[in-house]
Amino acid sequence: MDTNSWISILGFIATVVLAFTVGVSYGGIVRKITARIQNRVGPPVYQNFFDIFKLYSKSTAVNHGWMQHLGPAFAITASVTSLMFIPVLNGQGEFWFANLNFKGDLIFLLYMMVFGSLGMALGAGQTGNPNSAIGVSRGLSQMVGYEIPWVLALVALMLQTKSTSITGIMDYQIAHGTWMMFESPLAFIAALMAMLGMFHYAPFDVTFAPAELSSGPASEFGGKYLAMMMTSGSIFAFVKLALFVDIFMGGASNLIMLVVKTFLLYMVPVLYGIVSPRYRTEQSIRYFWGWPTLIGVLGVLYVVFVR
Amino acid sequence: MVISPVHYIAVPLLAAFLMPLLAKIHRELTRIVPGLVILYLGYVSVVLMNQVMAHGTIVEVIAGWNAPWGINLVYSPFTGFLASMMTAMAFVIWLYSYRFKKVDSQPALKYFILFMMLVTGTIGIVLTGDIFNFFVFLEITAISSYSLTAFYRDRDGAEAAFKYLLIGSFASAFILIAILLLYTQVGTLNMAQIAVRMHDVPTHMKITILILFLVGLGIEAEMFPLNGWAPDAYSQAPSPVGVTFAALVVKAGVYGLIRIIFTLFDVHGAYEYLIVMGAITLVMAELAAIRQKSLKRMLAYSSIGQMGVVMIAFGIGTNEAVFGAIFLMFNHAVIKGLLFMSGSYLVYNTPNKEIQYLSGYGMKMPLISLFFSLGALAIVGLPPFAGFWSKLYILIAAADNQMIGLIALILGVSIVEIVYYFRVVGRLYFGKPSKGSIMQKPTYGGVIAMSLLAIVILVVGFYPDVITPYIHNAADALLDKAQYIHSVLPNADLSQIQNLK
Amino acid sequence: MNSLLLIILILLGGAILAYLSKRISPMLSSIVSFLAITSAALVFFFLANDQEIVKISLGDFVLEWGLNAYSWIFGAMVMVMATLASLFSIFYMKGKDRLGYFNLNFDLSVMAMMGILFSLDWVSFFIFWEIMTWSSFLIIVYNGISEGKIGIKYMIFSAIGGYAMLLALVVTRSQIHSFLITDLIHSFAGFSGNMQALLGLLFLTAFGVKSAVMPLHVWAPRAYADSPMSYTAIFSGLLSKMGIFGFGIMLIAVFSHSVDGTIFVYREVLAWLAAITSVIATFYAVIQTDAKRLLAYSSIAQLGYIVMGLAIGTKLAVMAALFLAIMHAIYKGTLFMVVGAVERQTGITDMTRLGALIRKMPWTFFAALLSIIALAGIPPLGGFVGKWMLYESLITSDHYFLIILAFLSSTAAFLYSFRFLFGIFLGQEEKEFENVKEVPFTMVLPMLIGSLLLVVFGTFPGLLFKPLASAMSFLGMGDVSWNMSMLSNGWGDHVDTLDVINSVVIIFVLVAIFLGLKNRKRTRYVSTKDIHTSGEIPTENENLTYAVDFYKPFERAIAPVMKRKMDFYYNKFGEGLETFFDFLRRVYTGNGQTYAFYVIVFLVILIVFSQQIFF
Repeated sequence: MDTNSWISILGFIATVVLAFTVGVSYGGIVRKITARIQNRVGPPVYQNFFDIFKLYSKSTAVNHGWMQHLGPAFAITASVTSLMFIPVLNGQGEFWFANLNFKGDLIFLLYMMVFGSLGMALGAGQTGNPNSAIGVSRGLSQMVGYEIPWVLALVALMLQTKSTSITGIMDYQIAHGTWMMFESPLAFIAALMAMLGMFHYAPFDVTFAPAELSSGPASEFGGKYLAMMMTSGSIFAFVKLALFVDIFMGGASNLIMLVVKTFLLYMVPVLYGIVSPRYRTEQSIRYFWGWPTLIGVLGVLYVVFVR
Repeated sequence: MVISPVHYIAVPLLAAFLMPLLAKIHRELTRIVPGLVILYLGYVSVVLMNQVMAHGTIVEVIAGWNAPWGINLVYSPFTGFLASMMTAMAFVIWLYSYRFKKVDSQPALKYFILFMMLVTGTIGIVLTGDIFNFFVFLEITAISSYSLTAFYRDRDGAEAAFKYLLIGSFASAFILIAILLLYTQVGTLNMAQIAVRMHDVPTHMKITILILFLVGLGIEAEMFPLNGWAPDAYSQAPSPVGVTFAALVVKAGVYGLIRIIFTLFDVHGAYEYLIVMGAITLVMAELAAIRQKSLKRMLAYSSIGQMGVVMIAFGIGTNEAVFGAIFLMFNHAVIKGLLFMSGSYLVYNTPNKEIQYLSGYGMKMPLISLFFSLGALAIVGLPPFAGFWSKLYILIAAADNQMIGLIALILGVSIVEIVYYFRVVGRLYFGKPSKGSIMQKPTYGGVIAMSLLAIVILVVGFYPDVITPYIHNAADALLDKAQYIHSVLPNADLSQIQNLK
Repeated sequence: MNSLLLIILILLGGAILAYLSKRISPMLSSIVSFLAITSAALVFFFLANDQEIVKISLGDFVLEWGLNAYSWIFGAMVMVMATLASLFSIFYMKGKDRLGYFNLNFDLSVMAMMGILFSLDWVSFFIFWEIMTWSSFLIIVYNGISEGKIGIKYMIFSAIGGYAMLLALVVTRSQIHSFLITDLIHSFAGFSGNMQALLGLLFLTAFGVKSAVMPLHVWAPRAYADSPMSYTAIFSGLLSKMGIFGFGIMLIAVFSHSVDGTIFVYREVLAWLAAITSVIATFYAVIQTDAKRLLAYSSIAQLGYIVMGLAIGTKLAVMAALFLAIMHAIYKGTLFMVVGAVERQTGITDMTRLGALIRKMPWTFFAALLSIIALAGIPPLGGFVGKWMLYESLITSDHYFLIILAFLSSTAAFLYSFRFLFGIFLGQEEKEFENVKEVPFTMVLPMLIGSLLLVVFGTFPGLLFKPLASAMSFLGMGDVSWNMSMLSNGWGDHVDTLDVINSVVIIFVLVAIFLGLKNRKRTRYVSTKDIHTSGEIPTENENLTYAVDFYKPFERAIAPVMKRKMDFYYNKFGEGLETFFDFLRRVYTGNGQTYAFYVIVFLVILIVFSQQIFF
């Protein structure tokens, strides 16, 4: 293999490490913040790293079959592959992890992101734990809810920038010197509301519903499987945040900007979640098909007729 | 012996009169002789059809009196086709009814005598070139039909026969009055002569006569609202008689109607009248059919509906349409024959011949069910069976005349037709068999008869060319009025005759 | 001998032989049917070419058959899937009644489909179309569920479609005096506006019925679900594609010759109907508990996408639609075979009772998994390629609300996709199914071939793009550019499927190896009863699988949409009609005096109005 390939492989690895680190740290921070708001001390910020490494080192006691085995593999495949297609930085700064940024577009990404959930759902289904199945049922139903405003927002962006690829949308923002959140505010609001559901924090945490469903789909996973799923979850959180930053906030020119933007964005669902009770599944579906969808439709119409 | 069209009438009539004597010699002869007679007629048909195809219309003069004074038979490609078709169907019906009931030698004699009369009458109607003779044959047909309807001598049969008689006597009366009036106007009974002189008749008189003919023959051709007798007669008569009605009697009625309108009169409104009345007949009959509980009544209404389509097609009056109409007459005779034959075995033992008892017969009577299903597929006009082609021709003709609404009507009604036929087919094969239903084993003759019809349906369906040349000639012959007159009256003045459409 | 004729004759002969050979042995009948279809397929792939023309003159009509790039695509699809389904059928149908009857109609259906594809004129098109209709009707009623009521519904709707076509084609003939399809294509532009509108409406109705577009779809769910599964594999996968085939001719070749406003409206209306169809059908699929019904509704939804693509009619959209059509044939065919396999081994298809068959029927599960991934449109399998192109075409042609409906439907499709896999293969083991075994090899093989095809076409969609592009240029869309493994839209955005599959496979394999190897020895393989239940130990025969009312919350959320089914209105309409007919029927009172009265009244009317009637 020549140097270029090695560099790109290094780029892959660096991206994954970055995503993992950021994702896991955010998880820790969220735990801390939640604890403080609830007037607890809370675990240290790096607690999540400990958890994951500990789980990796532990042996796994039981296994229910090969689909349980493959479920986490599906999940991590999906999150890492999605990561490969998302520009981490916008190319104006010094670091630039190109990966596969130009090989896929938003619609591809939407589907790729679902791949993991379906894999995990299948893994959870294999275990035979009723809590897992209930969690999956809820999670998928809720997904139908938030996908609608989310896609509406994306359609608005695509129509405005005449591009369906993330890099295209980023280029548009750079060329026009603006951020899409200001260009199509309605779309941004709709997407933000959809994002609340996407992160599964309260009030949309009925999927995992701690204290009700054990931990939903993950009930029966332990050891390396749980570690895998936590890894995948952390990377996936980063993927979603980076995607948001890329398409609504013009991307990030360097890592610090990236961290700042993603963190701010992340605080939206987190803070909203901490102070909210839990919606039932049908309530959250109806919620997403209500205002967020309406705003999304207005956003599309705004793009079509006003701009 | 020289083969001539007169054999069609003389031979069966003679046989009918001789049969009581023959029965004295051997009982079985009552069954065999009609078959031989019809076989002979079949031979006559083959010979004459070949002649007609080669040399054109044959006019047979009876007793040496030339037209317009004598009685004559006109064997044109059209009438010849119908006569041959009727002969063929008569043969199949004979096969079917050979031992329809096993132990009824005495009724068999009556049955076959009446049947021979019926054959004579219907073929006579088609072949005759004389309007009074036409009436006579119509009466022969009608009277034997009444008796055959009441053949079982039960209450329902008698009632049906009485209705038939009641309405039929109206028909006879109207037609007779019409003929009388016509004679006062044109002074002749020869149909060709009438056609020549028709344009001299005052319009009001012409129309009145036409109306009397239309109503009278409309009754025989089962036109709505004159067809009240038909469903009862079809369903109460013995099964082979039902087939006879569908294949012979109605065809003769329609022929009469068409001959009157196409050849005798030159009234354009009559064509539209045919279309409108055909459409109404079609719609009413099919809508009535879908609600029938009894299989035979359903088939009867369906038969009326098909006649409606035939009338529509004749009413359109172009060569294509007439071709389609004759084709449909042929198909209807064959297919409805098959349906009646197989249908009556299906409901042989069920109470009131009701459809609801037919569940699961497909397993018990596989062959009969298969025949019935084939008939159902064919009659609704599904390819690749015979019914499809005639339907296609008629629709094409209608489309060429920009009658899109009419096509939509025919097709819309076809959907209704599909519903009630496939209801039965679905039930036959896939219903749960009800308890206590007794199967009737068909006779060998019946099976052969049905197989013959089924083969015709398949052959014509896959290769319509076996029949289309004859029908083309028939359609040409019907439309070519001048030719008809010329062949009957070589010296007639044809200047006033225009070929319609 | 001409190979097109040969194919039709082989299939026809196969049908008859299969019917007859049932007398010798039922199994032989199935084998004969399989051999006939296989040899027809061989002839099709190795002998048939577009130079051959068959002319048969029947009556006054000349039937012309030929092959072109467009029909070749569909023909290849039919032959491959029919071969797989008939192979599957051999053991699936083993031991059932009336196999001769079944195989006869099976082969006739396949023959009819090939005939439709070969037809160059409308008469043969219509003939084969109707043969397809009645042969499939005879199979729908084969199982005897609900005494043919479903069959009648299917027949009525097929008749509406078929007769719409018949009307359209006789009207066409009266205009151009030719039945040739190409003549219609070339002279369509010259028709008057009304004529274009009429013909368009009629043809679209005809094809809409077969491809189950709302509101003509009501026959489909039960018809698909109630037929034997080995037939549904081609019924849903292929017969419906004949509607798509016709839509292709009309929407692309014929309509593109007209720039009239009506046609534009038709396209838009059709696209919207298709989109709504796909959403509603998906919702219905989600709430089904029977796997067959689930797939049946899913088929309707998928057909909605395909029709949508054709109705949009841009190059990308048409490519997407045709690609999806092929993919749908493959994955839906495979999935119906999967259900068939499950039904054969367990006797039921109720997802609330089935469960945990993954260990018993691993190969079946594997095929189901790949097909479901393709169905859900998840990369990297074939389904994704089609969906991607469809969305891109929708957005680049400014159908921004259609894309939302399409997305809604396809997201909701994840629900039933998971339900299908979970309900049948996952969850806790039932004692009832302890002794279930994998199906015989001849049933596994077609399923695996199907899923393999999905992988191949997902990675190298170019394998299909190539013939599709020539099909489209045959239909008059000009040159269509394509890449072996690169998808691109009109805005210059693209997806590289090869990179995707590489990335997915590499990561997946690495992770799977890691998971597999890491302390493999110490992991205990336990039954699905051995789970975390908060200290409460379920007894042996207690099954905790969450299977009943699986998507209850979702059902509650969509309840307002589901309140009334289209069926309801049709049934009401049908009842109303029958009542009306019954009323009309009373004209026939059965009373001789009334009839005599009619005769007199009729005569009087004629005489009184003779002026108006006869002059």
